[in-house]
Amino acid sequence: MDFPTLIQYGILISLGGTVFAGLIGLLVHTREAHRLAYGLLAFANIIGAITCFFFLKSGEVGVLIGSIPFGYSLTLGLDTLSSIFYLIITLVTTLCSVYAIVYVEHYKDTYHLPSLAIATSLFIFGMQMVLLSTNIAGFMIFWEIMSIASFFLVMADRKQASIKAALLYLVMTHLGAAALLAGFFVLSQGTLLANFSALQVIGQSLPVHAVTMAFILFLFGFGSKAGLVPLHVWLPEAHPQAPSHISALMSGVMLKVALYGFLRIIGMFPIMPSWFGMTVLVLGLASAIFGVLYAVIETDIKRTLAYSSIENIGLIFTMVGVGLFASSHGQYLLGQLCFIAAIFHAFLHAIFKSGLFLAAGVIVSETHTRNLEQMGGLTKRMPIFTGAFCLLALSAAALPPFGAFFGEWMFLQSLVRVLPTITADPIFLGVVVAALMGVAFVGGLAIFAMVKLFSIACLGEPRSESASHAKEPGGFLLAPILFLTILVIAIGAFAPDLFSLLKADTVISFDGLSKTLQIPSAASLSSLKLFSALVIVSFIVWIFRHLFSDSKNERSYHTWDCGQPITAGMEYTATAFSAPIRFFFRLLLRTKKAVTAIPIIPTNPWIARRTMELDTSPIFMEYLYLPIERGLMHVSKLVRKIQNGSIQLYLALIFITLIATLIIAL
Amino acid sequence: MNSIVITLIQAIIILGLAPFCMGLVRMFKARMQGRHGASPFLPYITLATFMRKQMVISTSTSWVFRVVPFVVLSTTIFLALVLPLASQGGALSSLSDFVVVAGILSLGAIFLVLGGLDGASAFGGMGSSREMTIASLIEPTVIVAFATVAIVSQTHLIDGMIFHEMSEILERPYLLLVLISLLLIALAENARYPVDNPATHLELTMVHEAMVLEYSGPYLAMLEYASALKLTIFSLLAVNLFFPVSLLVPGAGLISLVTVIGMTVIKLVVMMFLLALLESSIAKMRFFRMQEYLSVSFFVSLAGLVLVLINLV
Repeated sequence: MDFPTLIQYGILISLGGTVFAGLIGLLVHTREAHRLAYGLLAFANIIGAITCFFFLKSGEVGVLIGSIPFGYSLTLGLDTLSSIFYLIITLVTTLCSVYAIVYVEHYKDTYHLPSLAIATSLFIFGMQMVLLSTNIAGFMIFWEIMSIASFFLVMADRKQASIKAALLYLVMTHLGAAALLAGFFVLSQGTLLANFSALQVIGQSLPVHAVTMAFILFLFGFGSKAGLVPLHVWLPEAHPQAPSHISALMSGVMLKVALYGFLRIIGMFPIMPSWFGMTVLVLGLASAIFGVLYAVIETDIKRTLAYSSIENIGLIFTMVGVGLFASSHGQYLLGQLCFIAAIFHAFLHAIFKSGLFLAAGVIVSETHTRNLEQMGGLTKRMPIFTGAFCLLALSAAALPPFGAFFGEWMFLQSLVRVLPTITADPIFLGVVVAALMGVAFVGGLAIFAMVKLFSIACLGEPRSESASHAKEPGGFLLAPILFLTILVIAIGAFAPDLFSLLKADTVISFDGLSKTLQIPSAASLSSLKLFSALVIVSFIVWIFRHLFSDSKNERSYHTWDCGQPITAGMEYTATAFSAPIRFFFRLLLRTKKAVTAIPIIPTNPWIARRTMELDTSPIFMEYLYLPIERGLMHVSKLVRKIQNGSIQLYLALIFITLIATLIIAL
Repeated sequence: MNSIVITLIQAIIILGLAPFCMGLVRMFKARMQGRHGASPFLPYITLATFMRKQMVISTSTSWVFRVVPFVVLSTTIFLALVLPLASQGGALSSLSDFVVVAGILSLGAIFLVLGGLDGASAFGGMGSSREMTIASLIEPTVIVAFATVAIVSQTHLIDGMIFHEMSEILERPYLLLVLISLLLIALAENARYPVDNPATHLELTMVHEAMVLEYSGPYLAMLEYASALKLTIFSLLAVNLFFPVSLLVPGAGLISLVTVIGMTVIKLVVMMFLLALLESSIAKMRFFRMQEYLSVSFFVSLAGLVLVLINLV
């Protein structure tokens, strides 16, 4: 069997296994059916991941997977871009499925397990097929399957809050899908069965205003799926309501599918005015800044992670925006480097964010709450798990020597190195300096958010009864989290290898333009050297501590308490921990704090019972969406005046509408 | 001497002088405030005493509490190895990429914060929250300031950012803005006035001391040593970036080794004197005014960057 055939079989096995897992959920009604379904999902997807890995390694450009005669022929294909994202999907799905085998059994009464398995398989199948589709119709059909399946997954527990979140998600995602469909209509001039390769040709003849229109529609469509500000409102509501392995898939993978779509379509645009890139950059930076600020002040563990996803997607789109802007200014090498950094960061985000969501699932099922303020003391009760959680949180903060650092490193280095060569172009200069400042600013606050997440959830004394009974999770829950942790550390040590797997080396060795821009190639910072230097130094410090002091000479005692016994209520909470940031950024966040004091003795105002109320509701809901809603309601009230029950008037209205339609259409 | 040897020599010089540096600033400060003060060599004895003492570990703490001193000290020693403090072009100088250095600095700060929170006391939380705020808002300034120097010196390694002639700096007076912002960062990173008061244990003022409150014995020694090291590193880095006098380079002889040691001591004495002078003449800022301090340092470095870019046109 030759290589393309092997790739073809590998991909087909992963698709077939995913569908079959759904069928098991549908047809088999024994108690262990879901185990079989998730096991099959894990098996099929690991095959897919291995296939994609070897495909990327081989340097093959594209492989035809097959075609479905479906009224018209729907061709499936795999190329470099889609195989990178296919690798992300299948890898994360494998780990989430292994996790789900035991995880869903904890929630037997909350979820209907067979239908959860069906929706999960359908969701994954939709995402896989979006990547493989090579024409518009296929792309849109599977995009819808992915959206609808995830809608059902968000409301899997059938609670009021979940249904509300799911409906918000449904509205936003369908506004997005409608925009995508309209965009495709404009770009393909009505031929929705066109192949993507044909689209490129059709686009050449389009007038500028049509291309602009298409760009805005696509940015809206993909932006609403990826969670760009101000279209992100559904994300912090929907992701936390889903079961944790689904949250991991939605945050880690589905957002990347939107990124894939954006990159795929943007590559086909016939023209690229520089303000396209600038718009993407502005939206990306705004998402990153608002995402990270809300991640800092949020007190719900899964919502913190959802906001952190908005931040990371914002960073990725910032990179893409600079890349587009640079390409339209003729700086192709900088453009390429930005795209590489964006894809690298997307890859790493999928890994650490799904790890963090899986870990959050373990914490929530142990402590029975999503509120950080009722957790604490987990490090003592579950040391192995919290060790992995700590490392994942550190890598989410993009710190060296962990993997996620190198994407940001690449981006910052590229920006700094391009600055001296573009001083003649003030607008370009402004864009690069803004991106540099924005990413540096967000990087700092991301550290704050992740430290808050880990330390308030895990350190100190437990703040609630159920948190004090937390136990180390079982092997099936722990193994995927440990695997992702090891992966993040390994990528940290071997970052250049991942860069070259993602085809970065083929771009970097492109030397036509390297004279104008000194390239931050992966070799100029040896990640392995950095990693080993840190490990060796720590080891030497450890040896010296044991040589020069007696390591047994210690005793246990309670924390210094100023003479009054310490209780968990005296610990810092998430709200208290983030108070300085809330204060410093009060103009942006507009949190409302009200302290009411009720004197216990009416004559003495000093001895009082005080309560504090803190409103940290997001400003976009309050200042953008609610006014729109009020406006719509107002317009509807006005329109209602013509709805007076007289059938003659309705007939007249129908007739007027018909005439008006005919006039416009003809 | 080859590059490995000079890195080792630099490590020995810095690791050896760090407690002296801490003692020196305390002595200068005492003298300026009309006290006699202790000998500058006292910190050596203090650290040695800590190493022999019994540790008291709080029952509220977990493995994190025990990992913290190792990470904090290791990251600081890592910086002492890679940065151009007493030598240039050492074996590990290829790791002195400014983004990496900023990240490693944050890593140390994070673990201090975790150690502060693991004791479950309100003091630790208070210090941790403040330290994390300062550390996370300093990060953009560090990046922008070093990016500016990187553009002027055309290298991304801090090891290469050293100017050898005074005229190189006098030709570019805007670099002074970067120097100012780096000094502001250094004061904040090292928990000195006006950001933190290193001499009190008062909940209203302390940041760094609040986080290490639960530590004792060898662990406290490690943390104190790390903060002394950090002070030494920042002082020498600030001097070397702008007034590089006698650094050890690969191939140097024994005579230059003696000059380097002598000059390093002189640099430290001068810097500690200036620091003591500063701390004796200004008041500590209220914590909730820190945003002003941090935004001033950020915009000063940004102004430096913009001037550099305008000047390149």
